[in-house]
Amino acid sequence: MNMLAKSFDAVATAPVISLRGVRKKFGGHLVVDNLSFNVGRGEIVTLLGRTGAGKTTVLNIIMGTMRADAGAVSVAGADPYGEFKSLKGKLAVAFQTDRLLPWRTAVENAELGLLILGIDRKIARAKAIECLASVNLAGSEHKRPHELSGGMRQRVSLARALAVDPELILLDESFSQLDHVTSRSLRADFCKVARQFGKTCLIVTHRIDDALEMADRVIVLGPGARIMLEMPLAEARLNEQTREQCRAQIETALGGHNEDDNN
Amino acid sequence: MQTAQDRAIATESEPPPDGGRAAALFKFVVTRPSIREAGATVVVVLILLAAMQIASWYVPDYIMPSPEAVSGAIWRLAHTDYFHVLATLGRLAAALSFSLVAGVLLGLVMALSPLLRPFVRSLVVIDTGIPALSWILLAVFWFKNPEKRIFFILVMILIPFYALSIYDGFRALPKDLVDMIESFRPSQWQTLRYLIVPHLVPYVILTTKSVIGYATRMVIFAELVASAIGVGSRMGLAQSTFHMDEVLAWTFFLVVLNIVLQLLVTAIEKAALGWRQEAAVR
Repeated sequence: MNMLAKSFDAVATAPVISLRGVRKKFGGHLVVDNLSFNVGRGEIVTLLGRTGAGKTTVLNIIMGTMRADAGAVSVAGADPYGEFKSLKGKLAVAFQTDRLLPWRTAVENAELGLLILGIDRKIARAKAIECLASVNLAGSEHKRPHELSGGMRQRVSLARALAVDPELILLDESFSQLDHVTSRSLRADFCKVARQFGKTCLIVTHRIDDALEMADRVIVLGPGARIMLEMPLAEARLNEQTREQCRAQIETALGGHNEDDNN
Repeated sequence: MQTAQDRAIATESEPPPDGGRAAALFKFVVTRPSIREAGATVVVVLILLAAMQIASWYVPDYIMPSPEAVSGAIWRLAHTDYFHVLATLGRLAAALSFSLVAGVLLGLVMALSPLLRPFVRSLVVIDTGIPALSWILLAVFWFKNPEKRIFFILVMILIPFYALSIYDGFRALPKDLVDMIESFRPSQWQTLRYLIVPHLVPYVILTTKSVIGYATRMVIFAELVASAIGVGSRMGLAQSTFHMDEVLAWTFFLVVLNIVLQLLVTAIEKAALGWRQEAAVR
């Protein structure tokens, strides 16, 4: 009995993402050099770095679309590359651009992941409508992507990721193409929903504001995806003074002021 | 007293009572592209009819019959020989439908199977290089049944258009969308259903629009050589019996048939591709 309880505990506390000594080379160029980190269940972690730091490569390795040359990768207890299909329904991604299918309406895009999971069409539609409402898109369900603004399209993309109710949501610069006001509002809405449902999120970004406003923890990557700084940010989200201190530390770790944050 | 400037302003803002309505009508016609195009077509048809009428005064009927004689032939054939139009239409529909399905399947094989791609592509490229006349002559020797002959000729000519279009359409599939759908770990069938097939629909419709006129010409040509039924064979018969009015009457039917088919495909395009945002270039 005790052993059973222990094994349940182990599952509950096991990290959703675990990278150990991961390396990736392109040609002769080492893009990811011995990277190790964990992301716990229900945690929102930001992977922050300048352009070319290897963030997207790390994300592709976690998504399972790229194989690491060395090291161990585990996502929701599986090897994302070797056991690609086993992560069906456990992982969802919101990309930098909305990537909506232009021939499908907002709700049809939002239900896409559910249909791929084999969920009944009626149930999928109801869930998609619910998710669109959670990202403030009630009333726009039947609009085509070209009838929506950039911010609205990105909201549909987030609803599509949330709809499959995944264990892990990966966000790849999902707010970076939006203006400051839209980006802030979308970040707030996403965080509210993610925290409400206890989702584990890994947010890849080059903008410090994304990290400071959303994450429980930030991992700052330098060249070769080497960890330059890792620190908790829960307090920074609530306290203006702590936030500025954290910003200064992150900027130092990035090697100076991040110009992209002014955009 | 009214100054010259006042008079100029009055002229600009108020149309003169006489001819004001005509000017407005003229402006309406000139600024509406659809009406302008229809008007231009009417003008061209009237010029052609006038040219036919004038030519018919100076040459015998078997060279150029009058528009009246041709319209008489149209009326007569529409009542007695409509079966031949239906036969041609049926052959066209059957061959076009089969070529669409076979061409799409071959295009998908080229797109999805790296192993088979070079073989199928070579086959399609060789097919595109074979003249229509070769297929017509070969079909006459290979098949006894005229329906089989015409079907074979059309299919051999049309399949490569669909196959190459589908293959090109697949290559134009945005990688972003592939990565997006892959992130949900779909089966191959689901990728085909939710991404590839909807993406390829515009290519199929565009190809159908492009080949429909060509296919109409080819079916007539094939009927002329390989069958005793259909518009092509009737045109051959009319020509060999010096009934030029009937040749022109059949030509009229073909032009109408082509316009009707184009309108039909355009309607299907509107229904199937309503999601596309029309680009507007000033």
